Formats: sequence, C-alpha cells, structure tokens
Amino acid sequence: MVSGSDSPVNMKMRKLLFGLAGAIALTAPSFASDLYALKVRRAETVSHGTIEHAVLLIENGKIVTIGQDLEIERGIPVIDRSDLTVTPGFVDCYSRMGMNGGGPSGTYPWLQAKTELYPSEEVYGELAKLGVTTLGLYPPGNGIPGQAVAISTTGTSMDDMVLSDSAYLKSVVGSNSSSRSMLESAFEKVDKYKESVEKAREKWDKEMEKWEKDNKKKKDDEEKDPKPDPFQAPEPDGVASTMMKVLDGELHMMFGIRKAADYLHLVDFIKDREFEYSLRVPLRNDIDLYEVADKLGAAKRRVVMEPRLTIMAWTMRERNIPAELARAGAEVVLIPDNDSLGGAKEWRNDVGHLIKNGMDRQAALRAMTLAPAMELRLGDRLGSLEVGKDANLIFFDGDPFQPTTKLVSVMVGGEFVDTEDVR
Amino acid sequence: MLTFKQRLMTVAASVTAVTLAVLPVHAFVRDGDDAKTEDSKEEGDRYFAIQGGDIYTGTGEVLRGATLLSKNGKIDQIGYELYLPEGTETLDATGLRLYPGMVALSATANLSQGSFAQGLQLHDFVPHEDNHGICGECGKFYEEIVPGAVDPGEVSTTHLAAEGFRTDFDDSYDPFGGYLIMALGNGITSVQQSNAAIKLKRGEIDGVSLSESTMTSLPWSSSNPSGKADLRDKFRVANNYLVEFRRWEEAGNKDVKEPSKSGVDSRVLSILEGKTMARFTAYEQSDLLGIARLAQQYRFRPVIQGCTEGWIVADELGRAGAYAVVTPRTRRDPQEQLAHPNGSSIENAAILTAAGVQVAIVPANTSIDLGGTAGRDLLSLPLEAGFAIRGGLDERRALEGITVVPARLLGIDHRVGTLEIGKDADVVVTDGDLLHYQTFVQYTVIEGKLAYDKQKEIFYSHIRPRAEVEAVVDPGEEVIEVPEAAEGDEVSEEVEDHDEDAEEVIEEVVEE
Repeated sequence: MVSGSDSPVNMKMRKLLFGLAGAIALTAPSFASDLYALKVRRAETVSHGTIEHAVLLIENGKIVTIGQDLEIERGIPVIDRSDLTVTPGFVDCYSRMGMNGGGPSGTYPWLQAKTELYPSEEVYGELAKLGVTTLGLYPPGNGIPGQAVAISTTGTSMDDMVLSDSAYLKSVVGSNSSSRSMLESAFEKVDKYKESVEKAREKWDKEMEKWEKDNKKKKDDEEKDPKPDPFQAPEPDGVASTMMKVLDGELHMMFGIRKAADYLHLVDFIKDREFEYSLRVPLRNDIDLYEVADKLGAAKRRVVMEPRLTIMAWTMRERNIPAELARAGAEVVLIPDNDSLGGAKEWRNDVGHLIKNGMDRQAALRAMTLAPAMELRLGDRLGSLEVGKDANLIFFDGDPFQPTTKLVSVMVGGEFVDTEDVR
Repeated sequence: MLTFKQRLMTVAASVTAVTLAVLPVHAFVRDGDDAKTEDSKEEGDRYFAIQGGDIYTGTGEVLRGATLLSKNGKIDQIGYELYLPEGTETLDATGLRLYPGMVALSATANLSQGSFAQGLQLHDFVPHEDNHGICGECGKFYEEIVPGAVDPGEVSTTHLAAEGFRTDFDDSYDPFGGYLIMALGNGITSVQQSNAAIKLKRGEIDGVSLSESTMTSLPWSSSNPSGKADLRDKFRVANNYLVEFRRWEEAGNKDVKEPSKSGVDSRVLSILEGKTMARFTAYEQSDLLGIARLAQQYRFRPVIQGCTEGWIVADELGRAGAYAVVTPRTRRDPQEQLAHPNGSSIENAAILTAAGVQVAIVPANTSIDLGGTAGRDLLSLPLEAGFAIRGGLDERRALEGITVVPARLLGIDHRVGTLEIGKDADVVVTDGDLLHYQTFVQYTVIEGKLAYDKQKEIFYSHIRPRAEVEAVVDPGEEVIEVPEAAEGDEVSEEVEDHDEDAEEVIEEVVEE
C-alpha cells in the first residue's frame, strides 16, 4: 500500500486503514509497543521507488502502511525522524560468518548449514548494527554440499534467528565431465526413486487384486484373509528427497561457476530439466562473464557476486560486470567484497563505487536488499518497504552510498538495535 | 609470385572448378536427403556468403572474385553470380583472399580450455582446505575450486554418448578464451588437443569435438635398443594373432575356438587393424629407416614426428607410405666426422614430398608464446610453411601441410582442410597471400558464422587498420565520370560538391 499520489481512491483507502488502526489502538491498551508511526524524510522502498516525507505505520514488527505525508490518527505514538532516510535492512545471502571448518566434497544435498549455527556468536549482533539484518549462511564444500540457512542477525536462540533452514541448495560446477556426471547422477536418483515407487505401487495393486479375487468367492460367514496394509511408498534417500524438492520448485539451487563458459556448460548439463536456479560467480580480474550477459539477462537469472570492478582480459580496461548484467536484465545480487565485519562495513561504499561506474542506483540498492531476500526465498517477507513486510530498516543521515553519510540506527522487526558505536 | 606457367594452370584449374561448382548440389544428394533439406528450409536455413574474394580452395584451384555460399555451416556452392537465398548474411571480401582454415597439430591446451586469467590454467589451482584454493604459481588466493578439476592436458577419455560423438572436451571447452581468439585471428580453425580434434567455435560449445584422434604413440629410438626389440616383438605377436584370427574367421567353423588374445598388445593390434595410426618421434636416419622397415614389414603407415634427417632416407619413407610431421626451420648441424650425409636440410619437406611422403608442418613451439619471440609459436604456421617453400616445396603442398594433411592425420579431412562443397565452411579471409609474412587475417569464419573480425578485436586492429570501403576511390572511374558531368550539367548539387575536388585533382594531373 504505497501512496505516492493523492488519487481519490488512495485517500479513501488511507482513511479506511487509519480508521482500522485507530480502532485497534483503542481496543488494545498496550498499543505503544505494538503499533506506532514512523516519520522520515525519505523512504527508499526498493519495490516502489523513493517516497519523500514518508510515514510508515508499524504494527507487531510489520509494516502495515506506508505513504507520503500520511495523516497519523490521534493516539498513535509517533517516532519522528524527519531528518533521516530509511532503506530496507541489508541482506547478505552468501556468507560463512560465525562458522568455521571445511566441508565435504561430494553429493550431500540433504545436509543443512543450520546445524553449524552457533546463535550466541557475537558477530551476528555486530552485523545487525551495520545494517545487515538478514544473513544467508551456506554449507562449505564442493559438489552439492547442502542447504543454506537464512537467519536474522538479532536474537540469541535458534528459534529467534532461523528464518529458513533450506534457503537454497548450494552446488559448485565447472566446465568438466565430472561436474556433468555429478549433476546427472543426483537427478537420476530422483528418476530411480520414482521408478521404485511405481514398481511398489504395481506390486501392491496386484496384491489388492488378488485379495479381492480370493475373498469374492468366499461366503459371508467364511473367514476372510487379512486385507493388505494400505499402500506406502518407499522412503526416498537424502539425495532423492532433496533433488525432488528442487524439481518440485520447493527449493532452488545456487550454482557456483567461475567463468562464462561454465554457464554454457551448466545449461548443457541441465538439459531439459526445469527447475529454478541462481548463480554464484566470484568476480576476479580477467573474468569474462560479460560474454553471456545477454543469455543471463534473457533468462532473468539471479547472479550473486561481489561489488567489484574487474579488469577485462588482455587489457587494462575496467569492466563493471554487475552493471552490465543488470542492464541486460539479470537479477544482480551483491554481497560484501569480503566476508567479514570489515567487508560489511565497506559494503555500501563498494556498491556506491559500482554506481559511480555506471550501475543503476535502484538496481544497486535492490541488489543489497530485495534481490538477496528473494535468493533466500524470503522475498515476500523482507527486502523492501512494503505493506506486510518485516519492519527491518536502516536509518541514514543522507544517501546511503555517500561516504560521508552516517548510519544512525537500525531497526529489526520494528525494534531498534543498539547502534551506538557503529556510525 | 606465381610463374606464367603456373598462372595458366591456375586459370585452367579454376575453369574446371567453376564448372564443377555451378553444378547443382542436389544432383549428388540422395532423394531422401533432398526431401529432408527442403523440410528444414521451412524452419529457416542459415546462409552465409563471402563475396568477391579470390578463393584459394586448397586443392590447387583459385577462383578470382568469386563467392562462397554456405548453408547451415557447410559449403553449399562456390562460384560466380550465385543465387543468394533471401536472408543470406554476406561478407564483402573484395580484394581479399579466402583460404581453408588451418589445422594445428599438438596445440596448447590454452586454446580450448580458456585463459581468462592469463597463463593460469585449471591445474595451476592447488586445492586448499574448504572450497578455496591458492594458485601454485603466483600464490594468489582463489575462491571455489571446481570439483574434479583436472589437468587439461590429461582430459582425454573419449566416449560415444547416446546423443552422438563426444569427447571430454565437449564438457570443458571454453568458447570465450583470449588464446582462442588469437588462434582464430591467425587463421587456425581446428586443433589437436591431446587425443581429440577440436573445432575452434566462438561463443558456443555444441559439437566442438570433430573426432578422437586415432594416433597411438610408440617408442623408437636407437638409444633404447631393448625398447625397439620389444616393439618388434609386439608387432610380431599381434600380427600372428591377426593372421590366425582371420584364418579362423574365414573358416567359419564355430566348433573351433577363437584364437586367444592373451599376450597381444591391444594398441599394436589396433594399428594393424587400421583403427589407429602409429605415431613415432624420430629424427635420425637410422631410426627413420628402422621405422620405415617395420612399417613395410607389417603393412601400416607410420606418422613420424620430427623426421629431421628424413631427406636422406626419403625414398624409404615414401615406400613405407609414411606421413611426416616436420618443422622446416629446425637446424641440426651435420657431424663432420661422419662419412655419410647427416644433419638437417631446409629442403627436407620438399624432398620428402617428392618421394611421396605426406608432410604436415608444425612450428617448433606449439604453445602460444607472447614473450615477443617472433614466429616460433603456434601462431606462425604460415611462416613455418614459408621455410619449407624456401627449401623448394611448392606453394600448394606447403598450404596443404598446414591444412589438409594435418586434417588427414586427425581423421577429419572429410570435414575440414579444403574449401570444397559439402565440407565445413571454415574460411580464413586474408589481405594477401597466406604464406606472405606481412599478411593478416581479416576475418575468420567458422561453420558459416563470423568468428573473428580483425577490426573488432584488440589484438591486431591497431596494425594497418582496414581501410573503410567507402574511402576507396577508383581513379579510373573518376576520369570517365567527371568530364561527362561537366559537359552535361545534369548532376545534382550534392554530387557536384563531391565532384569538385575530383575535378581539381584531374586538372592537376592534366597540367603535369
């Protein structure tokens, strides 16, 4: 519910909503913690552009309305930060922070990075202070090492923190036949499992038929054979069950690749199988990902990478691959250049450098918020300032990409995080 | 460059070529196939025409100012005043020459494995804990090592997959690499990679494997007499088995047991069966003679890499039906104390060819060397062929040595190596004689698609940039046009402006 213009419909909706809000406020005496209004100078919604003089109504940690210069019903507490700009909380979807150790190399899609999570690790709280309100932690290792966990950086227990324990299924592939056979055999497990289910079903059907036949002949007073148990499909193993989720669209894969050719081969490996997947491409000098920009754009592929300019091979010319991919239509996801607190601190400035070098500013902001939220399958809950989404906000005293701009405070689920020492 | 006699021959040859070329292709296609091609026409055939260039077909013919039309990547027609179907993409090659793409033997793995990180290949990555790695050479830190990364030099197993011919290169080919573009920019369109032949496609990975190379390397050296004896023995055993097997097969008596293969060397057997070619590396005449005799005894055609002293025993090699893979520039000083001729000769390739040996030419270094040493790496195939010409090899054979002969050795000469109807449209368009040292490749076409344009790549575009076609003024035409325009006064203003300059030029000429 965004009210950029003052159309009559919008006015009506607004009155209606505020009437409702008022009613809630009246009936609930403890409204002060549950419902309040937030006035800011500017809200960068990511999903609906920038709203000047924005008012957000926040209830139970969720945004219930947002618009320009909205009237605030009497009795609703107001936090007036008309001097500040808010953006959605940053989402870093590809991190190993607070985790250590290596992982297996092979096909272990059922493993979850959640099991490695140590909730009282201090680094998460520190990240929250830097505006990184959501973190995606991937399982280590090569091959298909397992599923990432999405966490909120505030909270002290597993239950508080974990937003999703199967955010994406990580896999690393290259241009070689072992990658092909790895993927093929993983999907073949699904085919084999489905075959085994079919066979079991056929067997059961025959048993049922036989039972019915045998018992029809018998008269009512005769003792009947025990009826076969109802059909139970055989249990799939870890690989089959996880890969089945991928094919059913319940889980998507994130493929780590290194260069343009890897993408062509990946498409070739996947063949006709239809499932959702994104890419993780570490940007380093001489990378040639621009060669497949048109293909990535046409597929609207999500690509996770660092905010980095790279040197074009054989030249000293800088290329802005995130900008090129965004222009081509791909969904760029930017992660901190360095997977550390220092990296998180520099994140918005690094992205600012990409904007200076030609990346669309809206696309860049989206690449730190909504795009990574979607990568974690939390796009309907996080990543933008929209009605119904979590009130995860960052307050800046200016343009977040401007180096002189200070981060004033951070809000997660409608509550302020202590940000004293960060700035 | 060509003598008058040669020219005459060329003209005669081109006349035959034209007559051949203009014949409708369908005449040679079976009915079923014909119907098929017509069906696919509806889906949109892809036509590409290279117009107006001098076509050096690689079979000896030259067609001046002719057109080469390709259909779906294959050469469809070569000739004059061809009908170009609607939607034909064209490339103007007026004043340029067309040659078959070159075929490079034992080429560096950089070509097909990509090289976006200069000089870094997969095997330079040393796995390091977790999913990270450190480059063995420069110590740089890299994220994410590809699982099962292998030394590209060892990517070798080939197999027939359900969807057709494949090698492991199909899964590892990098169609964007800088070295690949450099190779295309130097006229190389097909390469040998360990034991496979690869088409250097740009931007696509489908069907890059042309064949698995059928060469089997065998040892033969005078410094290893027991190795020679061993190999002779293997040939004897394999030959005996083969004789027995054929006898058994002919007899057709199923009650008799099939001869046992135990103790038979499978590699040697496949050579005797004609499935693979035997490849030796040998330089000295005694070794070459030994190989020739072995080949004659067991009736197989050896491929001899090196063959430095081949000129001394050329007749023997010719009788053995040998192929030679030579580096004409190789120098090997004769040993004065020996009474018989020895050492290298610049005439090696010419003498071998005259004796009936098919000669393929490779440079001394088959990697791509950017160290600044001129013309010793893979990119200087024509230069190397030039040395053979200096030694008396005729130009046509020299061209064959870098095109169709290596293609033959790789078993892909039915697809590449010459410009003939039905073969792949792999064409190199140059601004001069391919074997001239100043010649540059202007365009390279792979299977009817433009894969390289000198002006559009960073490598050579700055050296003698191609003149814009519009800027080329034929003075002869101006002389005729301008006086007419001046008399008739019928020229529009626009044209008049343009012609004034021309008039001045002509006046100057007249004054002189």
